[in-house]
Amino acid sequence: MEILSALIVLTLIKATPIIYAALGGVISERSGVINIGLEGMMAAGAFTAAIVSYATNAPLLGVLAGIVAGGLAGLVLAIAATRFKVDQIVAGTGINLICAGGAAYGLVLVFNQPGASKQVNALGPNYWVLVVLAFALAIALQWLLSRTPWGLRVRACGENPRSVAAAGLDPLALRTFAVTLSGALAGLGGAFLSIGELNLYSDGMTAGRGFIALAAVIFGRWNPLGATAASVVFGLFEALQYVLQGKISWLPADAMQALPYIAALIALAGVTGRVRAPASDGVPY
Amino acid sequence: MSVLHRFGGIVAVLLVIVLMSLAMVVAGTSPIDGFSALLTGALGGSNQLGETLVATTALLFPALGICLAFRAGLFNIGAEGQLIVGALLAGAAGAQMHVAAPLAIAIMLLLGAIGGGVWGGIAGWMKARFNANEIISTLMLNFVAASVALTLVSGPLRGPLATGAETAWLPPQYWLPTLIPHTRLSAALVLALAIAAVLTWVFRATVFGYELNAAGEAPEAAKRNGINIARLTWLSLTLSGAIAGLGGASIVTGELHRFNTQLSPGYGFTAIAVALVGDLQPLWICVAAFGFGILESGGLAMQASAQVPKDAIHLIEGLIILVLAARRYVATRIEKGQAA
Amino acid sequence: MPALELRSIRKTFPGVVAVDDADLVLYPGEIHALVGENGAGKSTLSAIAFAELKPDSGTVIAHGTVGLVHQHFELVGRLRVWENVLLGREPRRGWTIDAHAARKRVRDIAERNGLRIDPDAVVETLPIGVQQRVELLRELDREPSVLLLDEPTAALAPSEIESFFQTVKALAACGTAIMIVTHKLQEVMAYSSTVTVMRHGRITATMPTASTTAEAIAQAMVGGEIPKVAAREERPLAPCLSIRTGDISLDVRSGEIVGIAGVEGNGQTTLADSITGMIPYDGTLSIERNGRPPLGVIPQDRQAEALVLAWSIVDNVMLGRQQVLRRGALLDRERARTDAQTIAQRFDVRAANLDVAVKTLSGGNQQKIVVGRALIDEPALVLAYNPTRGIDVGAAALVQSRLIEARNRGAAVLLISFELDELLAVADRIAVMYRGRITGEFERIAFDRGAIGRLMAGLA
Repeated sequence: MEILSALIVLTLIKATPIIYAALGGVISERSGVINIGLEGMMAAGAFTAAIVSYATNAPLLGVLAGIVAGGLAGLVLAIAATRFKVDQIVAGTGINLICAGGAAYGLVLVFNQPGASKQVNALGPNYWVLVVLAFALAIALQWLLSRTPWGLRVRACGENPRSVAAAGLDPLALRTFAVTLSGALAGLGGAFLSIGELNLYSDGMTAGRGFIALAAVIFGRWNPLGATAASVVFGLFEALQYVLQGKISWLPADAMQALPYIAALIALAGVTGRVRAPASDGVPY
Repeated sequence: MSVLHRFGGIVAVLLVIVLMSLAMVVAGTSPIDGFSALLTGALGGSNQLGETLVATTALLFPALGICLAFRAGLFNIGAEGQLIVGALLAGAAGAQMHVAAPLAIAIMLLLGAIGGGVWGGIAGWMKARFNANEIISTLMLNFVAASVALTLVSGPLRGPLATGAETAWLPPQYWLPTLIPHTRLSAALVLALAIAAVLTWVFRATVFGYELNAAGEAPEAAKRNGINIARLTWLSLTLSGAIAGLGGASIVTGELHRFNTQLSPGYGFTAIAVALVGDLQPLWICVAAFGFGILESGGLAMQASAQVPKDAIHLIEGLIILVLAARRYVATRIEKGQAA
Repeated sequence: MPALELRSIRKTFPGVVAVDDADLVLYPGEIHALVGENGAGKSTLSAIAFAELKPDSGTVIAHGTVGLVHQHFELVGRLRVWENVLLGREPRRGWTIDAHAARKRVRDIAERNGLRIDPDAVVETLPIGVQQRVELLRELDREPSVLLLDEPTAALAPSEIESFFQTVKALAACGTAIMIVTHKLQEVMAYSSTVTVMRHGRITATMPTASTTAEAIAQAMVGGEIPKVAAREERPLAPCLSIRTGDISLDVRSGEIVGIAGVEGNGQTTLADSITGMIPYDGTLSIERNGRPPLGVIPQDRQAEALVLAWSIVDNVMLGRQQVLRRGALLDRERARTDAQTIAQRFDVRAANLDVAVKTLSGGNQQKIVVGRALIDEPALVLAYNPTRGIDVGAAALVQSRLIEARNRGAAVLLISFELDELLAVADRIAVMYRGRITGEFERIAFDRGAIGRLMAGLA
């Protein structure tokens, strides 16, 4: 029983940053932009949250700063992908390198030490607010996308941006906003990693969660609630490695680290053939 | 073609200089000191040049592999994992084998190519069979590779005298010959350049290269003109991984002489920038790899004397990728402006 | 007072003057036809009228809103009819869309204009003709004072065309100014009140339709005599293509051109894809090779399906011919260059040299390369899918002539076209497709436009 409740709590904690990033991925892709840069946007959020919390001793400000930092990274991708018609995949890869490299550089500038920040003020027991918020945002986003004029326009934009233009709206503006919002959500996920779950930023701490989130988007069929459910599944596999550590003698702990990634691979192979992406996903307008 | 487009490489170099100067100023060093530290560190003597070429070699293999996949329209960002698996297989075999030296080296390189090829091929098979996005799968496979390598070299494959997570050392007769005496530069550089030459020929002259380029440029037209996209997908990701894996094996037999989990400081990721800066042309990629080799080896010296962290290089790589990608658009805009 | 005035409009694109010093005035209640060859500047001028493009110089004065029904509908297939129609102008209740009000609004506009539609239908499940209604409804919801229709009947059956123009006439009668961009001269003569002809970016004539003839308009469009297509020679017929599936039984013999008539979306793409092996089929399909390569294909969408736009002419001439040009592992580029020269000569391809990227060529020249490549190895069967769509009259005549010559030399030609006139001019036999089945066949001596049109609409 104890193990089970520990597993549930740990699953929710591990799922939370993936949920935020996956929700970001859903918005971006529904508007027609593949956000390969989620990983970097998470790193930007995680790093910024840590240093702002370090500077101000106010973790809440850190969280807000993480959202802003992720949003800015999202804005860069949005502008590259819309105004400059850069290949979205190439641009996203660039963003990932910029954010990871920028954070590594920033660590040395701010803390004078490479690899990891000093310990900072974290949310502590209040982290659960962000866990609940993740699920609340998932529901809100589902509602926004399916019921509101904005949601209809975003969906139309991801399917056929020319239809949006024919209706007298600006598809590029819609995409810019959606991708910026996507980055802000990923940044929030990153902030949770650094000052929600832990109390520092370290290089590589996002550990591919941005890409796992992309798998969750596909697994969840581009729906906020579906992507959230998929994120919880991936969170479960991440949690399992901690809970099972030392309990399965034949499987070393190092090998168990691969669990969430293998789960994402299997999900990717098992599901993609049977789902349909937005028709203009990844196609520049 | 506009000037901007043709001289994209030069634009990239200028950009690097400007950005790095900026980074140095922010860190409180004068750019002159920083760059002199960088250049002395990278090219100041045969030892330094050797290290620069070692880094060039290590980047060149995965960059060429990535180039092959990108040409086919497949975004392989798993070169890091493919390199690790290739190196792991080569290192494990090399530490256990007892055969004649040249054969041993050949076996290690072959196993490296097979390991990387299998790792890339998994993603290729998943894409061809299930249409699984190769960007996500190759990246996930990076983590799986790291975890597999760590598990094996912390346990069964760990060298008896090893201090960290690494295999036993290869006997010296299993080492690739060095090119410059008293440096770590091995014949692997020649192998990498040969692969670049072969790839150039494959892209220009062969049916396979033609079909690969067609699939990358216009997949629908390729599919409708007798090109088997599924076969091409798994084949090119397998070959792409094999080249990266060969690079991993060459690091083991040519440079480190054992497998170590810290063997790559992200060569597979930097190689993406190398391939893009080289405009997906194998010969230009060789030039780009040398440029990045300077950054890699001179970066350490710069870090010591100018307080600019080596990791800042990733930041610069990312910016180069963005700017080079955007330059196509800017160039077309300028062309249009000139025409009108 | 005019509803829309275009004064001294000039618009250039890199290397071309698309519209040059054009004046056009639309009055409420008129149906104004804008005709011209492909590339004459019609689409550019209508895009300027719709304010989708900015002119380099000149003025656009619109009194009221301007609506545009695109030739290639700008719809979202996975959304419902009402979502498409009201996109951007959604009725709201608080923060959400008032779906109930939206359905009612769509139903109302549809009824007012005599169009039948289910507001809740998902657009991609609807036939093309109905999808066009959705596109039209979206524009009507804005109550435009000017309505531009770009090739509106391209996807309609003859009977649908009649009812479509009833709707258009009713709109005009209510005071809407209507401009129809088209190349179908019978429709111009039958339904328009004024006609404007464009050639090489200039407006060459504007006149009341009643005062002119179709022949005169055609000559004004082309700027001279209309080119003739090659003559057909008598050929011995021998079996070549034989298809037997649940829905289709069709034979094409070498030495004949068999035309497939039908409105877009009646199974022509499935038929073509079955022959090219793109999709599986139930039944049998065989091609007698007669010692030739089996198949040359002119696909429907030259830019997406036939060409690698960034590549040179020579490189494109190799595409699909890898087996012909293979020498071991290598490609015979020398031969490809010779072939490209042959094609450029036979088809009068206008390009600076054979190494320019095909994306820099006009649609007509691109299509000449595609057709030339499909024919150069003298295949037993030629599959041509709308081979003259979107190219100028001269290029179209050339393409049709080369198809006829291939037939004269013993090729079997299967010509799928949405233009009945093309089939009547070129085919030896016409089979009509409706809802995936072949519903009738006509020999050349028994061609009957009315009977074929009725079959195309599913009326017989």
